[in-house]
Amino acid sequence: MATTSASMRLISSSTLISQGAEAKVYKGYLTPSGSAVLLKYRFKKTYRHPSLDTTLTKARVAGEARALLKCLRSGVNVPGIRMVDASEGLLGIEWIEGKSVKYLLPSGADDGDGEGEVPVESPSQTLEHFGISVDTLMNLIGIEIAKMHLADIIHGDLTTSNMMVRDPASFTSLDPKVPTELVLIDFGLSYHSTLVEDKAVDLYVLERAFASTHPDSEPMFAGMLAAYEKQVGKEWSALRRRLDEVRLRGRKRSMVG
Amino acid sequence: MLDSAKNNRQDLVLDSMPILQQTLQQTRSPLTNPECPVLALGLEGSANKLGAGVIRHNPDGSSTVLSNVRHTYITPPGEGFQPRDTALHHREWAFEVIKSSLASAYIVMSDLDCICYTKGPGMGAPLQSIALIARTLSLLHNKPLVGVNHCVGHIEMGREITGAKNPVVLYVSGGNTQVIAYSRQCYRIFGETLDIAVGNCLDRFARILTLSNNPSPGYNIEQEAKRGARLIPLPYTTKGMDVSLSGILSAIEVFTQDKRYRPNGKPQSSEDKDIITPADLCFSLQETVFAMLVEITERAMAHIGSKEVLIVGGVGCNERLQDMMGIMAQERGGQVFATDERFCIDNGIMIAQAGLLSFRMGSTTPIAKSTCTQRFRTDQVNVSWRA
Repeated sequence: MATTSASMRLISSSTLISQGAEAKVYKGYLTPSGSAVLLKYRFKKTYRHPSLDTTLTKARVAGEARALLKCLRSGVNVPGIRMVDASEGLLGIEWIEGKSVKYLLPSGADDGDGEGEVPVESPSQTLEHFGISVDTLMNLIGIEIAKMHLADIIHGDLTTSNMMVRDPASFTSLDPKVPTELVLIDFGLSYHSTLVEDKAVDLYVLERAFASTHPDSEPMFAGMLAAYEKQVGKEWSALRRRLDEVRLRGRKRSMVG
Repeated sequence: MLDSAKNNRQDLVLDSMPILQQTLQQTRSPLTNPECPVLALGLEGSANKLGAGVIRHNPDGSSTVLSNVRHTYITPPGEGFQPRDTALHHREWAFEVIKSSLASAYIVMSDLDCICYTKGPGMGAPLQSIALIARTLSLLHNKPLVGVNHCVGHIEMGREITGAKNPVVLYVSGGNTQVIAYSRQCYRIFGETLDIAVGNCLDRFARILTLSNNPSPGYNIEQEAKRGARLIPLPYTTKGMDVSLSGILSAIEVFTQDKRYRPNGKPQSSEDKDIITPADLCFSLQETVFAMLVEITERAMAHIGSKEVLIVGGVGCNERLQDMMGIMAQERGGQVFATDERFCIDNGIMIAQAGLLSFRMGSTTPIAKSTCTQRFRTDQVNVSWRA
């Protein structure tokens, strides 16, 4: 490659926001006057054989874009796709102005001696800013996950940090009672499946995430499930049975050494 | 099975998150230096390796490996080791191996403070032989017994040898494939194999190619892979922080039936260009499987925020795996710790090390409870000796 590709130039003009194991996340602009985009760059892993690395990166970027697209078509609130460059490993999606649900719900009490990333505002104050109550928020989460599962997309990593609430200041809601919208993000581990099992596991993963990040989350999760039930309709009885089964599994397993 | 594993993984990951940060802050170990040197004999025999080793913990907090003797039950090419024959091997060689480990440590049985043995996990019959030998020695010489978890033995020995403080541990061997991190008196499993272990995958492929089992099938695959050039596409199956390996084994086995496959590794004529050799298959298997392992390790490191990674277990002495891990760690600004075959491959000294740590914390195994078990998860052990 003599000249750098357009994707690489885009990255170099953008600001790095965070780096995970898989990808670097940037905030950038496709056009000087346009709105911001979030760039998820799956950088090259030099420990992997180059051709293996290329195949994997391509498949993963395309997979994530495909899942987002399917969600968009089915009316699930996810970030819109702005650009895909699978061979360079770059995915550009809509920049969402808002806050992660993780910071809108009360977090663990023993967080005090942690690394000190305690939000300045208390969760209830912030929720007020978004114009919704905890119950409404749970309702929104339930509806969104149900819509996603009805489209046969399994998120694979449902946690409260992978959900965002749009800032009412930069969003016009159709519903006068709910000035905001819940958006599901990070489809890096998502896949397509029609199985009740996969959907139940998806819900179980979220239940565990709730329990470990937000104390006394049982009523919240129950509220979320009630909304999910209403939205998902006739599939619910099978799903509920499977979710009960899945809950029983996790703890007892003993692996053959 | 597959999904239950997935759930379990989530359990562990999510539960341990806030805890990890706490433990990083405490640095004081509950373990105090011994007043006089303490010695332990370690007996290992959970698979085809019979090991005996003596370790000494000194009053200044350091430790000395006095001896490390091993005898491996090697089967003919194309064959694995059967539990019954392996147990027989251990019983036949136990006296020789233990005697030589004491002799090379220049000590006698009465010098020991405790006898440590592998309680599990592993193959039933070999474990039973070792437990029986340990019990006999304990009663004969009136020494306390300490039952040790094999996996914890590997981790403790790796930490001792490399000096890694609080690493993410990749434990890869014939029976185990786990990504482990310590938090609150427990080695938590962040990711693991959903079916077969990576060593098992390599060993079984070596059997398909009828590679020699001497010194180990994995070693011969590694040597063979150095001559491979062509990367054959194989399934790549990471699921979050877990991996699945059985499908890869089936997929690569199919290539040994391929029309392009040349068992002798040589083209039939000068026209014969499009060929697959055993070396290519070994190369592809290693590249794919190790990339998966490095990926899940990296994910665990990112999750926890750790910069150190320690590789233990028999597959850990594979240099290609160490190289790949090294590149990954370097890119993250971290460091990889690995040991050589003396301490990577199952040995008695690691059992002595982990056993002695637990003994110094005042825990012993009474004769009535000196059982062994094939199923003994790493996270079931109370790691009392760490902060």
